[in-house]
Amino acid sequence: MQKLDRLGWAEGIGVQSFGVYAGVRVSAAGMLPQILPFLPPGWKNSRRATVQRLYSLVVPRANQTAGLRRMHILYADSERIARDTDLNQVLAALETDLHRYVAEASPDMTFLHAGVVGWQGRAILLPGRSLSGKTTLVRELLRLGATYYSDEFAVVDNFGKVHPFMRPLGIREDSTYVQTKYTPEALGASLGGKPLPLGAVVICNYKTGARGKLRPLSHGQGALELMGNSIAVRTQPQPTLRRIQKLVKGAVFVKGTRGEASEAASSILNLLCTGNSGENV
Amino acid sequence: MKERQNPKARMDCLTRQFGDELLVYDQERNVGHCLNPTAAAAWKLCDGKTDPSELATILARQFSAPVDEPVVLLALDELSKAKLLVETERPVRRTSRREAIRAIGIVGAIALPIVTSLVAPTPARAASCLANGKPCLSGVQCCSGKCGTGGHCNA
Repeated sequence: MQKLDRLGWAEGIGVQSFGVYAGVRVSAAGMLPQILPFLPPGWKNSRRATVQRLYSLVVPRANQTAGLRRMHILYADSERIARDTDLNQVLAALETDLHRYVAEASPDMTFLHAGVVGWQGRAILLPGRSLSGKTTLVRELLRLGATYYSDEFAVVDNFGKVHPFMRPLGIREDSTYVQTKYTPEALGASLGGKPLPLGAVVICNYKTGARGKLRPLSHGQGALELMGNSIAVRTQPQPTLRRIQKLVKGAVFVKGTRGEASEAASSILNLLCTGNSGENV
Repeated sequence: MKERQNPKARMDCLTRQFGDELLVYDQERNVGHCLNPTAAAAWKLCDGKTDPSELATILARQFSAPVDEPVVLLALDELSKAKLLVETERPVRRTSRREAIRAIGIVGAIALPIVTSLVAPTPARAASCLANGKPCLSGVQCCSGKCGTGGHCNA
């Protein structure tokens, strides 16, 4: 770390997000505006002298010797986490690592890996691992009028309410697994703002040609599934379980396989339509 | 013949009640368990002093339904497999699910004890990441944390 500190840094920024303090410094002046879109949604400036995690971005010098590859290198504390000629790829790595760190270290919130939309005053959670089709389903629910909260994390507070983690939707192109970013506004979606109580949790995997088959889960089983998608359950088990317990009250849990997203999305919204007099979100 | 030790629940796990079900988190192994009402009730009664036949009597009183010893033995077997009981030199007597079903009858008054377990994910595995073999640019993108020289995630 001392070696890195000696490199000389042109500018930097302190960031506070969900109670986590991080810093980003760069070796060339004028880079910060390019970095800001990759910071966690809702971040605030922080003037704290110490941070929990410090990112250092080394950019190639303009007068670098011809013939050498112009590499951008990113460190998280003293560990090198990305190295590429393409700055955007390195900034994508910064985004992934920083968001994950905030999710893991937040003292105030529990982060669950899930897509989230709002519908009639309640949140619908779509937990699932990578490539399970979460974002596709979120996009389809938005098309049907749901409100956008997140395509990556459900952020749960001490009262069991779900907060937005609103970043552009990362839609993967099948052949490359590279995500293309779409803002929810570009998809015609309305944005969620206020924290919502949980309405339903839908745990499903996409299967080509499958007919949707979802079976109900008990609250205990559902809570176990949420625990299995919790970012910080290993490091903060006590608050994680406490918040999950508050979260699940009054919610419906279903699990299974789904076919095409359009069919699945309307069935999911129907789950909440019956017996719910909540307000529109 | 040596006498069997009475079952004792581990006290170092975190627990949360969800209706009649119990979520138990084993911090030592990083595994979460959901105990259905029968398994949860049996686990709570495992104090190291009560033997399986006494457990059956207490459970029958709690559920207001007949509970036979094979059901208790099945619960203890499930709990033991999930490592939620203090390990003893003389392990819990085992029974088969079939034997327990026979004891309950086709239309049982209580549910068979079930323990569902799930390994808690590491932060990297819980968040969006690429599986092994998928193309990558940096280790941060991979669930394994390693992006190989060929530009693919590896273990």
